[in-house]
Amino acid sequence: MKKIFVFLTLVLNQLYAGAVARFPKPDFTSGYQYPDIQHPVPYEQFWNWMDVILMVAMMSVVAWATHKKQSRKAIFGVSVFSVLYFGFYRNGCVCSIGAVQNVVLALADSSYHLPLYVLLIFLLPILFTFLFGRVFCAGVCPLGALQELVNVKHFRINKAVTSALSFIPWIYLAFAILYAATRSQFIICRLDPFIGIFRLGGDIGLITFGVILLIMSIFVGRPFCQFLCPYGAILSVFGSVSVKKMEVTQKGCIDCKLCHHSCPVDALRPPFANQVKEDRAKGVKRLLLYFILLPLLTLAGALFVGSNSEALSRAHKDVHLYDLIQLQEANPEMDPILEVTAFNEMGRSMEELEAQVQEVQHQFRIYGYLAGALIGFVLGFKLIRLSVKRTRKVYEIDHATCVACGKCFDYCPQNLKKKQ
Amino acid sequence: MNKNIFRNVALVTAVFMLALSTMLVVNYFQVRKATPLKTEVMETLKQLNESNGDNEALQAQIRQLDLLSRKAYFTQESHLKTGVYILVGMAAVLVLCLRYYYKESKKLPSKELDAIDEWMNKSKSRNYMTWGSIAAVAGALLFAFLSSPALRDTIEKAVEEGEELMADANAADDGDVAVLQSDTTAIAEADTTTVSEGEDDGLPIPKITSNAFRGNNASGVSGASGIATTWDLKSGTNILWKKPIPKHGYNSPVINGRNVFITGADASARELYCYDVYTGELKWTVKADNIPGSPSTMPKVNADTGLAGSTVATNGKQVCAIFATGDVIGVDMEGKRLWGKNIGLPDNHYGFASSLLMYGNELIIQYLNNSKAQLIALNATNGNQLWAKSTKDKIAWSSPVIGTVGGKAAIITTSNPAVAAYNPSNGTELWRVECLTGEVGASPVVNNGVVYAASEYSKCVAIDGATGEVKWEASDYLPECSSPAATKNLLFVATSYGMVCAYNTETGELVKEHDLSDAFYSSPVIVEGKVYLFSNSGKAYIFSAGDFSLLHSFNTGEKTFATPAFTDGMMVVRTDNSIYCVKKN
Repeated sequence: MKKIFVFLTLVLNQLYAGAVARFPKPDFTSGYQYPDIQHPVPYEQFWNWMDVILMVAMMSVVAWATHKKQSRKAIFGVSVFSVLYFGFYRNGCVCSIGAVQNVVLALADSSYHLPLYVLLIFLLPILFTFLFGRVFCAGVCPLGALQELVNVKHFRINKAVTSALSFIPWIYLAFAILYAATRSQFIICRLDPFIGIFRLGGDIGLITFGVILLIMSIFVGRPFCQFLCPYGAILSVFGSVSVKKMEVTQKGCIDCKLCHHSCPVDALRPPFANQVKEDRAKGVKRLLLYFILLPLLTLAGALFVGSNSEALSRAHKDVHLYDLIQLQEANPEMDPILEVTAFNEMGRSMEELEAQVQEVQHQFRIYGYLAGALIGFVLGFKLIRLSVKRTRKVYEIDHATCVACGKCFDYCPQNLKKKQ
Repeated sequence: MNKNIFRNVALVTAVFMLALSTMLVVNYFQVRKATPLKTEVMETLKQLNESNGDNEALQAQIRQLDLLSRKAYFTQESHLKTGVYILVGMAAVLVLCLRYYYKESKKLPSKELDAIDEWMNKSKSRNYMTWGSIAAVAGALLFAFLSSPALRDTIEKAVEEGEELMADANAADDGDVAVLQSDTTAIAEADTTTVSEGEDDGLPIPKITSNAFRGNNASGVSGASGIATTWDLKSGTNILWKKPIPKHGYNSPVINGRNVFITGADASARELYCYDVYTGELKWTVKADNIPGSPSTMPKVNADTGLAGSTVATNGKQVCAIFATGDVIGVDMEGKRLWGKNIGLPDNHYGFASSLLMYGNELIIQYLNNSKAQLIALNATNGNQLWAKSTKDKIAWSSPVIGTVGGKAAIITTSNPAVAAYNPSNGTELWRVECLTGEVGASPVVNNGVVYAASEYSKCVAIDGATGEVKWEASDYLPECSSPAATKNLLFVATSYGMVCAYNTETGELVKEHDLSDAFYSSPVIVEGKVYLFSNSGKAYIFSAGDFSLLHSFNTGEKTFATPAFTDGMMVVRTDNSIYCVKKN
């Protein structure tokens, strides 16, 4: 998390740099003594552990509310608290989503020190998801909570579209892993659309993107969680195999459809008798084909991303610097490039940089194969899942998709009856 | 409560939010673009302050205006922040109102929004994913193809070929202006550098330039012709003009167009002078003063190095000068100072003496001193640093040259211990040969792709400029301050103990020597098949560049340490305290 903090600080410093250059020191000697440069207070350990404790407490509350009480009120309260505390007070930088990158980097590079609390922030939501479903997404994650709070009416998107779009988080995750493992960029932090909102300032492009997502969230349930969140992709796996499964009601479904219409992420699977007109043999053939395609798609994905790793490696600062030097060399008449000037002033040799670039490109090839294999595998696996026919008699929760927001509890007439 | 109230409040809030958002966006871009201190009034006041150094009332006015500008800027920024808070508050109100308005949606919807045919949805989703993946891969491949280096190279090659065709067509129209170097005598330079415009008095603007110490690119060769071989300062024979120099210096004259540039300095001021090559009129003087970081007291320097030992350099648009204080200035051809900066006080026990060099818009500075060793390139237009290459060299007083090696231009330097070549675009070291020792004062010379370097108490070395491979070494006669000059066949060396000689450039064998019993700090320059050389005592020697036979020698009567500069039919010589121009009467 410290890395994330430092990284974001650097990004923001870049933005701030414009303001500094705007006010250069006066041109004449005034006798004014410039104060020493003030450094921000280091990220305090106390708050790091407070974040971990609060995260556990809030996930416990959500687990209790979803499994024991089947009430949304507590989840709503947790959401409000999460937005205020993790979002606006902690500036959105206690982030399990971003911690994915720290963990990946620690696994890829033994010299990278992964703080314990960062590891916990990454692991605890996974543990809770494995035990109780996606209780972290319900309201503990400030990004999900913010979208949840502004959601006032849910217009459902065609399930075929949402199913297809649910592939995007996996692509995002694969590239986040690739860039983190190669020490290039923490793209999840860099492209966080809500960080500017929580900090009430930042990159105008990202703020605009965040505002668009929030406006969408008013009428579409959690667009970021459904179609972008890479951590949600990981949690969906653990959610689908969670030990204790969440239920809309403990009193038996009466097939009223209310929960289905209330769900912001379309996680309620309707009763479905096997009405498929398709020939069974054809369906089996398709399924077999996708099983054969699964390793092929994995291999194709690995080869595709791996073979394009050189282009992808340009996101790494050393490769980027090397490109800039080549550009400056080819165009000596152009204005000096700041990075090239800094490189020259540091006295590093081109041979050293070239060796570094080759090392980075080698890493990109290896992790590119892995990232591509992940994308190919997920694509094949999703195609298999979409080829399987299931028969249900009542509404059932898709635990991979369900974010445990508890909206369905309040809509269920069986639950209302219980309360009365 | 009537739910329409919530709807109306939400509506009003939304309208206000829209208006406020628009204002905030406009305000944001205003604040972002704002440069409060760059107003016309402020700039004018600053200029006034520069010309009236100690006007405290003016400075107080600037401070007040500066403060007001800063306050206005930060007030505007504060308003922006307040606006964001209000917007967030209104967003909360809007969401609350909408939530209450839609609160009754718990009842069963009147119609099914999405026909639930799970299998159909799955089939569609499979298609979407399959085609979406294919489209993404195709898009990625297309992007990779468009951004591939191979394609870029092909496009660049096509563009270059087109430009070459255009250039060929232009050359055919204008006539071939390239001047080829002959193997022995008619050594001229292909001078394509910019020439500054001159006065409108009917006199032609000289075409041949001498833009740096020892001519263009510090080559030791000039393409000038019609240079007198005898002159007499006392009688004025073949002397066009002679003028005193306001302040002392050991730097050499530089000629571009009608402008002759030299510098002078003492404890009170460092100055750049521009003389008219036809009349000797001092056209303008620019002081290197008011430079941030410039030392208030002058560094201790040797008397025979001085504060102005470095020769200036020009590219026909700017002329740049450096002094022993580390002050560098850039001046345009009309004498307007464009910039001034201090690159650090050189830690130099004799005094900084490396001359400047221009490569296009780059000002090259060989900054080799006791505490810091760097090759620096500044933007000649504004003084911004383009690149700086730290080296492992020890202090040296030699100057960089630009030569064509391996078909490309390279900066060549000499120092203790290395002769090195650098890419002039970014300072990348191309090769380095550690072969010199001691205090290196002589600069290298490049001819026909071979780099020659020599230094007293060390050796004379010939290096293949393309590979950095040493071709031969010699140590018969070695220079102290004078830099060698070379034709294709001969390398000319002048020593500080009276010996001048010529080496065979192929073998390093000593071809000819003259014992002139005189010291030489000035460097030989090859012009019209002759070698011009001045001794410290002021004696002029003219040799044949073909066999190094002495053609003429005579005493000019004035001590001469600087190297002469040549242009069309004229030679400008700086002596100990004056500058004169030689031209056939």
